[in-house]
Amino acid sequence: MEVLTCNSCGIRLSEKGDTSFMCPNCGKAVIGRCAHCRDQSVEYVCPECGFRGP
Amino acid sequence: MSEDKENELLIPESEYLTAGVHIGTKQKSKDMKKFVFKVRNDGLWVLNVEETDRRIKLAARFLSKFDPKSILVVAARQYGQRPARMFAETVGAMAFPGRFVPGTLTNPSLPEYTEPEVLFVTDPAADQQALKEAINVGIPIVGLCDANNETKYVDLIIPTNNKGRGALATVYWLLAREILKERGEINTYEEFPMKIEDFEAPL
Repeated sequence: MEVLTCNSCGIRLSEKGDTSFMCPNCGKAVIGRCAHCRDQSVEYVCPECGFRGP
Repeated sequence: MSEDKENELLIPESEYLTAGVHIGTKQKSKDMKKFVFKVRNDGLWVLNVEETDRRIKLAARFLSKFDPKSILVVAARQYGQRPARMFAETVGAMAFPGRFVPGTLTNPSLPEYTEPEVLFVTDPAADQQALKEAINVGIPIVGLCDANNETKYVDLIIPTNNKGRGALATVYWLLAREILKERGEINTYEEFPMKIEDFEAPL
């Protein structure tokens, strides 16, 4: 099974506050976000379409 | 889809401006800097409506992938309550307008307890309790953010005036219409039966 990692910093997602969702733009790639990057509002980039969020 | 169609606004720019969707606040947060167009002479930060429009389309595409019943819309703000309720009715989502009962997402013994898959907040600052509980349960958060909002834990930002009566009605109406179009429940915008006024909070 593929381990889900944070799209911004690469850390494994296992903590409270982490989340994952399909890319809002293409809906093809899973975007993982760790609690720290979400708290700091760190940018994420979709590996499929290059969409930059949040 | 042609590039022209993709770049076309959902409603004419003048309607966005009349509704005040672009009007920000006198304070601007660092998080919202990239969505700001300019600062007015009176000190108000003006948001980029093209970006708002693009984000509404994105959010609609994103939300349309979820089971409608698993979308939770919250609005503590007075002017956001009717738009949120109307939006939820139109797309079939759950809505908690007004006070968000603590434990709604985390305490199974509460009668209000629910397990949504995505949270939609009208104002991340005003809807803090819902935001906090969504963080605890690990669901993605979509939020309407004004120029002064911090975007902590918001996974998809829709930059807009989230305080105005007209602005909130317009944004929720557009989102509802776009979600139905994305789902294929309507083929053209003309088929959407509601008007922006139907979404407006009473004075």
